[in-house]
Amino acid sequence: MSVAAAATPQDRRQLLIWLLPPLLWFTVFMVIPYGMLFYYSLGSTEYMTFKPGFSLANLVRVFRAEPYLSVLLKSARIGAFTAIGATILAYPVAFCLAFHTRSARAKFLIYLLVIVPWWAAYLVKAYAWKTILGTNGIINALLLDLHLIHEPLTLFLYNQFSVVLTLVYIFTPFSILSIYAQLERIPTSIIEASSNLGATTLETLTKIIIPLSIPGVIAGAIITFALATGDFIAPALVGGPDAIMVSNVVINLLGVAFDWPMAASIGIVVIGVGTALISVSQYLEHRAQARF
Amino acid sequence: MRELGSRRTSWALGWSVLAFLYAPLAVMAVFSFNDSDFTGLPFQGFTLRWYGMLLEDDRLLESVWNSVYVALGVVGLSTLFGLPAAIALDRFDFPGKAWFARLVLLPIVLPGVITGVALLLFYMAMHFRLSLYTIMLGQGTGLMCITITEVAARLRRMGRSTEEAARTLGANEWEVLRKVTLPGVMPALIGAMLIAFSISFDEIAVTYLLTGRQNTLPMTLWSLLRREATPEVNAVSTLVIAASVILIVLGTWLSRRGSGEPVAAPV
Repeated sequence: MSVAAAATPQDRRQLLIWLLPPLLWFTVFMVIPYGMLFYYSLGSTEYMTFKPGFSLANLVRVFRAEPYLSVLLKSARIGAFTAIGATILAYPVAFCLAFHTRSARAKFLIYLLVIVPWWAAYLVKAYAWKTILGTNGIINALLLDLHLIHEPLTLFLYNQFSVVLTLVYIFTPFSILSIYAQLERIPTSIIEASSNLGATTLETLTKIIIPLSIPGVIAGAIITFALATGDFIAPALVGGPDAIMVSNVVINLLGVAFDWPMAASIGIVVIGVGTALISVSQYLEHRAQARF
Repeated sequence: MRELGSRRTSWALGWSVLAFLYAPLAVMAVFSFNDSDFTGLPFQGFTLRWYGMLLEDDRLLESVWNSVYVALGVVGLSTLFGLPAAIALDRFDFPGKAWFARLVLLPIVLPGVITGVALLLFYMAMHFRLSLYTIMLGQGTGLMCITITEVAARLRRMGRSTEEAARTLGANEWEVLRKVTLPGVMPALIGAMLIAFSISFDEIAVTYLLTGRQNTLPMTLWSLLRREATPEVNAVSTLVIAASVILIVLGTWLSRRGSGEPVAAPV
């Protein structure tokens, strides 16, 4: 990082060669579109056409008018449940990979077992839960076969529970990978020192492993939270009217209501939250690396 | 000793989570062979009918090619612009660097729908017609951060000593790039290409907003899934999963083999 201090004209030319093309790209395809999003959020609609303007009314409506704020909060809640659920499910697998897999070969195989469901088609994974939880689904068929129920139950599908379950399923592999990366960084010497000094397994776990892994775990969970909160496939496939999330609302505003300024305003609010989340995640990641 | 706690309990928990991850995939695969018009128990017998139907579905086959086309374009774009961005971010200091890094990472945490809406407004203002190319540009922008973070991480781990040694020995910047830096980042670059390809192949949120008349595979599947759930969908899903397993195993194997080699090729 010391190039700037000793910046020669040649260094500066080198920097421009590398920086200029991506900078131009991101300016054209990100800064300008996001700028236009902001511009649209300040306008209004009349007879389904956009009318430019300079009013913050739409941005205020995101926080004041129903259903926007409650949808945002509901999406955030579903995102948070997903992040927590995926972390809880992921920890044991990451733990086994980091502490109970001896040979490099076995590690590689388990690693593959984890990434296959992560990369398997997104839509397919959401749809699979529809076939499991639905009225003609596997769970209902099993319960009917066992004569535990007499007609199919509808309570499994088309609610917030099914959305959270599907999202947890989708994001657990990602959480495993991010927690594993964190656990793998913990030096063996610290664990040995802990047991040499007479700590029990539980003490080592609660006082060494878990505290040391927390910044990285949270950094991963923030990404899960962000991705789950903005998801629109799971709510559309397995969620009912009760589980409409922020992305679905944006799409409805565009395609059904033609209220572009409102859609843009929601976008601006989400971008603000997203930027804040990246900053927190970068800070935590930085702290996690600085520890060792 | 790195082992900690009961091996048996840890693995019992670990395997049950892995079982949870595989059960739905197994369900899809099993029902793709079920000789019944709807997905559900009891099992009616074995058939390859649904796979046969796929081969006759021209719309589906065409969308597979559209997806491959878009994904290749995305890989090209994200390498062409992502590699220079990674080099600029790791090897140089410049004003506004922290903000540039944040901007580049933003698409990771933003819902694809928001990125899609912003780009749609931009395309409309520019009077672009929506097509496979508008999808390519949108996905490329969103997925560039993968190439950038993977390659930048690799550059950081490599350090600069080999490059400096090459310079001291009289290599010019072009030679340093071609013979030291590029071979060094190659495993990360290949890994990033594969990840970008598979995410693009699977992407739906950005695509949903930017798609024109021609559809990608996820969009075709999406319309199939939303209308009626035929076992044909199970068959496509099983094939898509099988294809991604092959790609993943191949990709991981390739990038592992690459990273095991010395960081820089001999100068």
